[in-house]
Amino acid sequence: MTMGCLVCCGLVAVGMLLQLTTGPVRWDAMASPVNIIVLTVLLLGILTMHLCRGKVRLFRWMATLQAGIPAMVACAMLTVLMGVTRQVPSGHQPTEPFGISSMLTFWPFVLSYTWLVVLVGMVCMTRLLQPSWRNIPFLLNHLGLFIALVAGTLGNADMQDLRMVVQEGKTEWRAVDSKHRVLQMPIGIELHDFSMELHESSLAPKSFSSAVSVYTKRGVVVSDTIRVNKPLTVRGWKIYQYSYDEARGNESDISVFELVRDPWLPFVYIGIFMMLAGALSIFVCKKW
Amino acid sequence: MVTWNDLWLFALPALVCWTVAALLSLRGGKRGYVYLLTICGLLIFGSYIGLMWISLERPPMRTMGETRLWYSFFLPLVGLITYSRWQYRWILSFSTLLSAVFLCINILKPEIHSKEMMPALQSPWFAPHVIIYMFAYATTGVATLMALWQLFRKQDQLAAIDNLTRVGLSFLTIGMLFGALWAKEAWGTYWSWDPKETWAAATWFCYLIYVHLRKSRPAAITPALLWQVICFLCLQMCWWGINYLPSAQGISVHTYGS
Repeated sequence: MTMGCLVCCGLVAVGMLLQLTTGPVRWDAMASPVNIIVLTVLLLGILTMHLCRGKVRLFRWMATLQAGIPAMVACAMLTVLMGVTRQVPSGHQPTEPFGISSMLTFWPFVLSYTWLVVLVGMVCMTRLLQPSWRNIPFLLNHLGLFIALVAGTLGNADMQDLRMVVQEGKTEWRAVDSKHRVLQMPIGIELHDFSMELHESSLAPKSFSSAVSVYTKRGVVVSDTIRVNKPLTVRGWKIYQYSYDEARGNESDISVFELVRDPWLPFVYIGIFMMLAGALSIFVCKKW
Repeated sequence: MVTWNDLWLFALPALVCWTVAALLSLRGGKRGYVYLLTICGLLIFGSYIGLMWISLERPPMRTMGETRLWYSFFLPLVGLITYSRWQYRWILSFSTLLSAVFLCINILKPEIHSKEMMPALQSPWFAPHVIIYMFAYATTGVATLMALWQLFRKQDQLAAIDNLTRVGLSFLTIGMLFGALWAKEAWGTYWSWDPKETWAAATWFCYLIYVHLRKSRPAAITPALLWQVICFLCLQMCWWGINYLPSAQGISVHTYGS
């Protein structure tokens, strides 16, 4: 465990140095194809370390609990630190010199989580290469976490999350990203009607929805109603009901949609469903 | 037509069944009767939910009162599953008591039954997400009580604490992942690190550490018990502590209810 603690302290120290010299982590640089390269390097690195474990003690140690527990403690501590400090919204610069108010771009945080992911990868590799039925619950939990974390983090920069404001009776082909840049979209939305239901007592909005037709350059793809919690999927884009003209409420003649594309989503889902199966396996398996 | 006014007609017999079953199992009575009575109670109470479903013409999951119905239903059910799996005699008393508390709230506070939820919470994910989390909170709560008991009274409970922690951790995991799937569905991101989610992640790590620590150092008993208490403190922070935390004021999507 001492070794594990030293490694984690080292990572935090290196992270602090990187933070002070290069500034916060720039996740937007991770967009495709960089994330594919990083993923390849990560997987090949884990495989190589696994294959060299006979010769290098460090690599053998990395697949043990003595390495894993301090890594978990480091991640837990940094997450608690994140929980007690007020975080700036994503994309904003931290408000203090150290960078802990933007924990997701704080180097020690990123390095600690990366270390944990590498260790989980190492331990998965060990079990994967000695197949046995008894390893299945273990792999569901650990490999599931590995896949969900890696795909979720690396895929984040490829995720597009845009807003589109559409006027009733008009068709809109432009959307705005989080940095207020206007983008031409491969799909267009025509808003037929925006409507809102109110609570009888409080007159607070109960639900709101938009009747729309969605087009690609070739013509109408689908006509449907989009409401909160009921997104519409067209050509890899998920279209969510996001907002409306709040000043006019029920009379709003515009509707705001959130358009999301997330090419890494299937992998994140695979990881999540593996973890779900792993969590349920405790009711089936007698042994831990 | 079944209404909220008929709740006690079903809740009372169900509670009697569950209580008798809980007492029987506590005394070490015949397991067959314990199962039979608990299932009887579940059928009675389940039929009330079913009838409400029919008379409301929608699943009874939309209001706070309606979600509490499911909570009261699932607690004895999960209690029974845990009982059949590990034969803890006390688990049914515990689940029955919790179920009774939520039934009492529903019977004594009828005015909140019709309280509507805001659009974002009107999702089929809401009930399972909350119910599973509540059960996880309950099991880890018991684990902590037992850890404190062992710390001060020196009675060995560690095997039970370990099992409860694992059940709790697995439910925390399921609740968390359901939350992620729901958030993806409703808002487009699985995890946005709002204060509740940050503390949920920290809590999850704490329980992970406990489980791995027990594997790595089975002989380190006092540290494990102390860690169990720390885990629970972290959980309390996640559950209600963040409502008082300056860093979390006004930015959590999880503070709808208050």
